[in-house]
Amino acid sequence: MSARPTLFSSALRVFDFSLGQMLWSRRSVFLGLLVGAPIVLAVVVRIFAIAGWLPIVNGSQVGGPALFGVLMWLLFVRFVVPVLGVFYGTSLIADEVDDKTITYLFTRPVPRASVLLGKYFAYLACVVLLILPSIIIIFFLVVPVGGSIGQAFPQLAADLGMVAVGVAAYGAVFAFVGAWLKRPLIVGLVFAFGWEQTVLLIPGYLKRLTVAYYLQALVPHAMPQDSALSMLLGMFQDLPPVWVSLACLAAIIVAALWLGGRAVENREYVLEQ
Amino acid sequence: MTGAPNEPIIGAEHVSKWYGQVIGLNDVVLKVQPGITGLLGPNGAGKSTLMKLVTGQLKPSKGVLTVLGEPIWQNAPIYARIGFCPEQDAFYERMTGLEWVTALVSLNGLGETASRDMAVRALETVGLSDVSGKRIAAYSKGMRQRVKLAQAIAHDPELLILDEPLSGMDPLVRRKMIRLIKDWGRAGKSVLVSSHILHEIESMTPNIVLINQGRILAEGNVHQIRDLIDEHPHTVYVKADETRELARRFLADDHVLSLRFEEGAVVVQTGRPDVFYAQLTELAASGELGVIHEVTSPDDNLQAVFQYLVKS
Repeated sequence: MSARPTLFSSALRVFDFSLGQMLWSRRSVFLGLLVGAPIVLAVVVRIFAIAGWLPIVNGSQVGGPALFGVLMWLLFVRFVVPVLGVFYGTSLIADEVDDKTITYLFTRPVPRASVLLGKYFAYLACVVLLILPSIIIIFFLVVPVGGSIGQAFPQLAADLGMVAVGVAAYGAVFAFVGAWLKRPLIVGLVFAFGWEQTVLLIPGYLKRLTVAYYLQALVPHAMPQDSALSMLLGMFQDLPPVWVSLACLAAIIVAALWLGGRAVENREYVLEQ
Repeated sequence: MTGAPNEPIIGAEHVSKWYGQVIGLNDVVLKVQPGITGLLGPNGAGKSTLMKLVTGQLKPSKGVLTVLGEPIWQNAPIYARIGFCPEQDAFYERMTGLEWVTALVSLNGLGETASRDMAVRALETVGLSDVSGKRIAAYSKGMRQRVKLAQAIAHDPELLILDEPLSGMDPLVRRKMIRLIKDWGRAGKSVLVSSHILHEIESMTPNIVLINQGRILAEGNVHQIRDLIDEHPHTVYVKADETRELARRFLADDHVLSLRFEEGAVVVQTGRPDVFYAQLTELAASGELGVIHEVTSPDDNLQAVFQYLVKS
């Protein structure tokens, strides 16, 4: 009748119809708010800049590129990207189970892991397509404040790449958590905002067990040094080389997706009647 | 294709399924032969658990379960030969019927055009061609049941597994769907259909499997089971204008075992439900004892019949 579908071809078919579902889901409103809020913040910064109310650190006014760096690191990489990862990643399979539509996917001649993979690709496309334009808008709003768009443009390209990699890595980790655990959201939030945030402040090797550690090495932004905490952070900042970070992030993505796929293959999903 | 002749399409060897401490299915031994087979049992009997095991959604806690001669758990390729219509009313509501069926059929490894053609044919078969471009969210309960059936039959499977497929359908559509299921069987394919309504199953096949409290109670020809059921005292609630006159008439019949009055109704217990229903239909048609408004039988609830069978 037809060739036996492979993992990848099946994943692409699941991706095909999951993307539309994801884009029109209630989560997209949440995603819109999450990526829209920084744009509003950037507009406010721009208005303040026009009015001459920019913050002064160590006697000099903070420029647009530095502010953009702060927004990128503290807002996007440390908050928006993990939040999206948690809320989307943990729900890739859980939503199908809650909606009781998983039956239709699991009674087709495709490996179960391809359902997770296809939905993960849909998450990537959905989030990256919405988050990157938001960053570009913020760049054009903030960087011209005391900075040059031309000079900062390579930085923007690197930041976009970093965010895309971050979305992929956090999404994969939480896709695994979602496939593995029955109540994954709490665990996901604890990992993203407990473990990741705390361990990064602790000197030693533990920070290597976070995604953020490898992400911050990709695009180290110069943070305004205006507090004891940032001085302290600077002392403990030992960043791995970019190639090591990229390799580790790739390994995290592959390992998390493989484990997630195994979990989906082996788990029984009992739907509430 | 299917295995050797007389090889069961579904085989269960001492299959049990536990949900923690709760037993869903208890030491089931079953051989379902090719053709149409009805799985009959009251709500909570274990039908859904058996259906989930047979469709590979659950793994047996104990025993071996085979479908079309192969183990079903973690055996994705076998789903190319199976079509499953689940019980739950769950869909991707934003999709149209055609988009949804096409998307699911495409998971069988077919190209876009082939998937669409198959989906169009399946929707035509279940009588949904005219609404195939509408969103599923706008479908009636009966249409939703039919679109579920369409996704199950679209890829022309050897074995169709239908979990309560007729619920929510109006009588005309129900008749059409029964005909469709019977045609499927006549075409040499197999169907396992579950229901908690005896006459629904009876209208599709004489081969039934009775399940209750996680155990297979009986399997075989529905008429033998029907005889057992017909011996069971049957209670009928008759709402009518002239309940006293009706009661007087009923008492003259030997098969009426007892009767009592309720508000505007008479409740009759009979040992011969077939004879009783025939007489009642004649009385209603003649109108000699006024209008008969409602005839219901609490005993049509399979639970009562099963309790009786378990006791006997």
